[in-house]
Amino acid sequence: MKTNTKILASEFEYLECPTLAEALNCLSKYNGKAKILAGGTDLLIKMKSGLLQCQYLIFVKKIEALNYLISDKKTLRIGPMISLRSIEKNEQVKAYYSALFEAVRSMAATSVKNMATIGGNLCNGSPAADTAPPLLVYGATLKLSSIRGDRIVPVEEFFVGPSQTVLESDELLTEICLPDLGDQIGSSFLKLGRVSADIAKINVAVCLNRTGKSVGNCRIAFGSVAPTPIRIPEAEEILKGQEMSDELIVKAAKAAAGLIKPITDKRSTNSYRQQVSKVILEEGIRSAWQRAGGEL
Amino acid sequence: METSVVGKGLPKFDAYTKAKGTIAYADDFSLPGMLYAKVLRSKYPAAMIISINTARAKSLPGVHAVMTGKDVPHNNLRAKFGQSTDIGPNFEGLYRVLAEEKVRFLGEAIALVAADSEKIAEEALALIDVIYEQLPGVFDPIEALKQDAYLVGDNDTNLVSQFKIRQGDVETAFKSADVIVENTYSVPFKDHAFLEPESGVAWVDENGIITIRVCTQVIEHFRTVAEVLGIPHNHVRVIGTWVGGGFGGKEDITVESFLALLTWKTKRPVKLTYTREESFLAHSKRHPFVMKYKTGATKDGLLVALETELIADSGAYTYLSPWVLLYATVNAAGPYNIPNVKVDTVAVLTNNPFSSAYRGFGAVQPNFAYESQMDELARILDLDPLTIRLKNCLQQGDTLTTGADFGGSVAVREVAEKAWQALGPKRADPGKHIKLGRGLAVGMMSYGRLTFLHDTSRSYIKLELDGSVLMRSGIPDLGAGQAQALVQIAAEELGVPLEKIKIFTSDTSLTPLAGTSTATRQLYMSGNATLKAAREVKERLINKASVMLKADKTDLKFENEKIIRISEPDKYLALSTVIGQCSTDGDELYSEAQFNAPFTEVPVSDVITGQTFADFTFGAYAVEVAIDEETGEVNVERAVTCYDVGKAINPLNVEGQLEGGGVDSIGYALTENFVVEQGYLKSHSLAEYLLPTALDVPDIETILVESGAGIGPYGAKGIGEPACNAMAPAIINAIRDAVGVRITSLPATPEKILFAMLSRIK
Repeated sequence: MKTNTKILASEFEYLECPTLAEALNCLSKYNGKAKILAGGTDLLIKMKSGLLQCQYLIFVKKIEALNYLISDKKTLRIGPMISLRSIEKNEQVKAYYSALFEAVRSMAATSVKNMATIGGNLCNGSPAADTAPPLLVYGATLKLSSIRGDRIVPVEEFFVGPSQTVLESDELLTEICLPDLGDQIGSSFLKLGRVSADIAKINVAVCLNRTGKSVGNCRIAFGSVAPTPIRIPEAEEILKGQEMSDELIVKAAKAAAGLIKPITDKRSTNSYRQQVSKVILEEGIRSAWQRAGGEL
Repeated sequence: METSVVGKGLPKFDAYTKAKGTIAYADDFSLPGMLYAKVLRSKYPAAMIISINTARAKSLPGVHAVMTGKDVPHNNLRAKFGQSTDIGPNFEGLYRVLAEEKVRFLGEAIALVAADSEKIAEEALALIDVIYEQLPGVFDPIEALKQDAYLVGDNDTNLVSQFKIRQGDVETAFKSADVIVENTYSVPFKDHAFLEPESGVAWVDENGIITIRVCTQVIEHFRTVAEVLGIPHNHVRVIGTWVGGGFGGKEDITVESFLALLTWKTKRPVKLTYTREESFLAHSKRHPFVMKYKTGATKDGLLVALETELIADSGAYTYLSPWVLLYATVNAAGPYNIPNVKVDTVAVLTNNPFSSAYRGFGAVQPNFAYESQMDELARILDLDPLTIRLKNCLQQGDTLTTGADFGGSVAVREVAEKAWQALGPKRADPGKHIKLGRGLAVGMMSYGRLTFLHDTSRSYIKLELDGSVLMRSGIPDLGAGQAQALVQIAAEELGVPLEKIKIFTSDTSLTPLAGTSTATRQLYMSGNATLKAAREVKERLINKASVMLKADKTDLKFENEKIIRISEPDKYLALSTVIGQCSTDGDELYSEAQFNAPFTEVPVSDVITGQTFADFTFGAYAVEVAIDEETGEVNVERAVTCYDVGKAINPLNVEGQLEGGGVDSIGYALTENFVVEQGYLKSHSLAEYLLPTALDVPDIETILVESGAGIGPYGAKGIGEPACNAMAPAIINAIRDAVGVRITSLPATPEKILFAMLSRIK
C-alpha cells in the first residue's frame, strides 16, 4: 500500500514553460526523464505517494496558446490546458455537446475542476476518465506534437491500457478536435459513482443522429468496464439505420452488456457493472434520441 | 423558568474566526527552531520485530533524534485510558507507545524521527532498517476466540471482556411467542474522518515543563504522558486547541506521547501532524459488531422475549473496548419493554486496526439490529412501524433490562410519533423504476459517563471590576459548541451580554479540569459546574446589592448588567457598581465550583445489574428514500428527526448536532466502509473511504422536544452522541419498505441492494 505523504519526496527539476515551443524543446531535451504537469490533480498524488518519480517536471498549464475553446458552426476545438470548470461553464458546450457537458459536470468538486485540465484527464490514461467516453462518441481527434512535428490520432487509438496511451515521451497533446457531427444530433453521458463527484464505477456516452424516425450514425462508449475506455461497435450496429423503439434500445443495451468484461475492484464488482451497464446505456440512448428531436 | 440567553439560537462566539479561517488550529502554530516529527509504522499486521537498526537514519544530516521502544522510559503501561478513578483491571488495558517484539496491527508505530524538515524526517524513516518475521495473525473475532487461535498480544487469550444481562426466562417465553424473528447483523469499522487530522506542537518551557499544544478531546492524558516519561504529573502541561472534529477519534492519546518524547530528547520544539492517510492508519475505529438477534412477540405485537449475542472486534489493543461493550450490553434491548431478555456480549482482540471510541459508543451498533428486528416483526404482523413501537416502547416509570430505574423523562412515544407524522401523506412513486419507501427507528443512549467512574467537572468564573466576566474551564471544544454553552449559562445567570464574557479553555496547568469532551458529558457536567459557580457569585452579589438597595434578596433580578429591584424596577445598580463595592469590602467575586455525577459501585460480576448510567436521551428518525430499482441506488429524499433534548441551551447548536449525527449515520448506512482484508487496509484515503457529500444528503428537519427533565443545567439532556442513533436503521427500514429487501450488513451499497432484489425475484 502506498501512502500519500503530502511530500514530494524525490528530487526533480521543475521547468515552467510559458510557450509551446519551449515545452516541446524541453520534452525533447529530457526525453524519457520528464513528466508533464498540467493541473496536477492526478500527477501530484502519484508523486506524493511515491508511485511515480521523474527527474524533470515540465509545467505546461500556463501556455496560453493551449488554453482555448473555439467553436465554429460545425466543429469544436479544445485547447488541452483548458480547465474542466471552464468547459463546464461554456455555453456552446452546454448547448451542443451534452455528453461532454454532463461528463465534466459529474466530475470532482469545483476546486479540483478549477485546477484539472481536459488534457490531463485524457493523458492520465485512466479507464474511468469521464471525458473519454464523450470524446469517443464524438469521434474526436487528438493532435500530438513534438519537435519532430505533429500527428493526428483518433481518440479511439489513443488509449492503450491503464495509465498507458500512445503519447511518445517527447510528445505533448496540443489540441482536441471534435468534427462536424451532422444534423439532428443528440448526445448524453451517464455515470454511476459511490457518492456525488466520485470516480465512476461505470460511465457511458451515446451520440447519434436522427433521420426521421430512424437512427442515422451512432456511437456508444463505456468507461470503467475494460482496461481502456471503449466503444461497442456491435451495439452501435444494432441501432444504425433502424427505426427507434423501446425494443430496439433494450436489444442494443443487452448486446452491449454481453460484450463488456468488467472487473471487480475497490469501487464496484464485475457483476454489478455488467448488470447496470444495460440500464445506463438504455437511459443514455433514450436521452440522446430525445435530444436529437426524436420521440419515444 | 423564563430565560433570556439560554434557549436562544445565538451564533457561537468562535463561529466568525472559524468562518474567516483565522482561528489557529493545532497545525497553525509554530515556534522558532522547531523540528518536524514523523512516525515509522509497521508494514505488517502481525509480525515479530527481530531487529531495528537506526544508525543510517541517525547519521542523515538534519536528523536530531530517532527513537524506538527501548528509548521510551516507560513504554508499556497498564492504562486506564484517561480515567482518574480506580476501577480495577477489567477496564484497563495495555498502552504501548512504540511497538516492541510483537507487532499487532498494520501501521502500528515503531519508531519516531525528529528532523529539520518534514522531508528530511520522511527520508530518515526510509533509512530505519527493521527486520520482521511475519506471523499468521488472526483477523476475525470469532476465529480469535477459538481454543488454538493465534494470540494477538502477550496474554493467553484474545478475549478482552464479556458481559451478560439476564431478565426473566427467554426459553419459556419463546415457546409462548406467536412470532419469532431471527437475524444476524453486521456492521463494519467506521473512521471518524474528522476534518482536522491529529496534530500538535510540543516544547520544553523555561521551567522545564513539557508543554504540548494539541487537538484532543482529553487533556487529562497529561498524566499518562508524564508516566511514559517517568516524570511527575505536574511536569507535563497539555494545552488543548480548538478541535476540528473529534467524534471519539481524539479520545485516546494520538500524538501527545510521541511529541513529548521527541521534545524531551532534543530539547527543541517539535511538530507532528498526520496526513489523512496516516490518520486512517493511526487512530481508532468504531467497533465492527456481529449481532445475532432473536426476538419473539405475540400476535398482537407485544414483545415477549429477546435473546442476543454481540461480538465486537476490538482490533489490536484493548483501549476503550470494555466500556464500549458495556454500553452495547445495556443498550442491546433498545427502548422497549421486554419481560424476558438474555444478552451475551464479548469483545475480542484481532490483528485489525484497534477499535475504541466513536460517537455513539456501542449504542449505535445494536440500535441498527434491534430496530431492524422491530421493522421485520411489524411486517410479519401487518402493523405499521409506529404502532409496533408504541405498543412496546418504554414509558415513564419503566425499568431498564438491568433493573435500573429511568429518571427524568422517557419520551420514546412522543419522539416516534412526532417524527413519523411529520413525513405527512405518502407520495406516489415518481418514476416507473423509482420506488419510494419510508422507515422509522427510535433509539436510546446515555449521556454522562458510566456512573461507577465517579465523574467530576470544575468551572471557574470571575467578575472583573468593569463588569466583564472571565471564565476558565478545562473543557475541550470540539466544534460542537461546548464552550459557547458554558458562556450562555454564565450570561443567563449574571445578566451580562455574551460579548462581555471571555472564556479560557483547555489547559491542564491553568484551567480547572472539566474532564473529557466525550460521553456526551460536557453540557451535563461542566454546564452544571458552571451554573453552580455562577450562582455562587450571584449569591454574593445579591447579598451586597440587597444592602445597597435596601431591598429583600428575593426582590432582586439580574438583567442588562444591572441588579434591579423587581418591585420597583426604577431602583437598580449597575453590576460594576456592586462589583466595585464588593472589591472595596475585600470580597473577590470569583468562584470555582465542582459538580459530581451520581456514583455507583464498579460492577463485580459480568452479569450487569442495576444502575450504570445517570440518564438517557431518546430520539427518533423518520426517513423517506427513493430507490432506483434498476441500479439499486438509494437517495435519502427526506429525513425528520425528533429528540427529547430536555432543554435546548442553544437550539441552533442542538439542530447542528442532530443534523451532524444524521449525516454521519447516512454515511454509516450507505457509503462508509472501512475495508480491512487480512489486516491490510483497502480504504486508506478519502477517495476510497466515502463520506457523503453535501449533494448526497437531504435537508434534515429537526423537531426538538423540551421535557425539561434532564439532569443537565436547566433540565437539559445530552445530545452529541445520541444523535447518531436511529438514522441508519430508519434508512435500512425504508429500503425494505421501498423494494422489499432486508439489508443486514452495513453499508447498504447499490451492489447489495440490487442483487438482493434480483435474487428475491428469482
